Amino acid sequence: MPKRRYLGEMELMVLLAVVRLGDDAYGVPISEELLNLAGREVALGSIYAALDRLEEKSFVTSSLGDPTPERGGRAKRYFRVTPAGMRALTMTRTALTNLWSGIPLVEGRRS
Amino acid sequence: MRSGESNPPKAAMWLLRHVRPGSHNQALTGDLLEQFREGRSRGWFWKQVLIAMAVGVLGEVWRHWPQFIYAIAGTAMQVFFRRSVEGAPFFFHWWVLPWPWSQLVLEGSPQVLLALGALPVLAAMLAINGIFRWVGLLRTGMLNLAFILLVHYLLGVLDTFPSLRRPVPGDPNLFTILLLPPPVIELLIFCSFLFAAWMGCRSPRYGSELETQADS
Repeated sequence: MPKRRYLGEMELMVLLAVVRLGDDAYGVPISEELLNLAGREVALGSIYAALDRLEEKSFVTSSLGDPTPERGGRAKRYFRVTPAGMRALTMTRTALTNLWSGIPLVEGRRS
Repeated sequence: MRSGESNPPKAAMWLLRHVRPGSHNQALTGDLLEQFREGRSRGWFWKQVLIAMAVGVLGEVWRHWPQFIYAIAGTAMQVFFRRSVEGAPFFFHWWVLPWPWSQLVLEGSPQVLLALGALPVLAAMLAINGIFRWVGLLRTGMLNLAFILLVHYLLGVLDTFPSLRRPVPGDPNLFTILLLPPPVIELLIFCSFLFAAWMGCRSPRYGSELETQADS
């Protein structure tokens, strides 16, 4: 079975957080971004699981920063979105926009 | 925060370091320590570690579902076989058979046949997943045979200790080695099937083949 190339909900949110954070995208800021902007309190383990899947799909790459004492001498792992990841985001946004545009009733309820 | 609470729970740290499957364990541990030292509680730390472990295990099962199906199928076949032929004279009174059939049955040929019999299940699951390779299948079969023969001869060694032997009710000629309860034996069988499939289909070369296939 070919690997899934579309984005799940958690993967989409994590990928968007990585895009928003730019060069400062590692576990803790990503979880804060999800809490502040999406209202989701997501465990760090779940965030790393999503990042693992995104990395397997080549939608993100990662690199190690410098170890710091407050992290027990452990380095931060920074994530960056790849061109393939940006394409996946664009395709997902287009698909979602198309689907939402066909639902006027929901728009009417919200207004 | 009290001084005793300034360090994260040691057991949770050990679990993170040694038990959690998946990559990026060092980064995850660092993130948890960073948050903990910013004032999170020990309960929060434990919750995060347990969620990370559960997510890691589920992720591994999801990634390797053909191997899990194979282990379940192999264990079910073994259990079904053992329970269905209990009391059947062909398998237990092997000594009435002429040589070399008695030797073949004695050496665990039913279990060996069942180990091989579960391989088509693995082949089908790998094919459904698009990652079928003959080399992975053959390696899994060989590993499973090796495990079964190892256990067989280990039990043979244990059989030489009279204190470990118990009579089988209703048959004065039969003895069995009652060391482990059946559920434990079934769990061990499951683990041996899973380990064989895991090792057989997860060597670096096999993994790189899968990566190449996924990228193409």
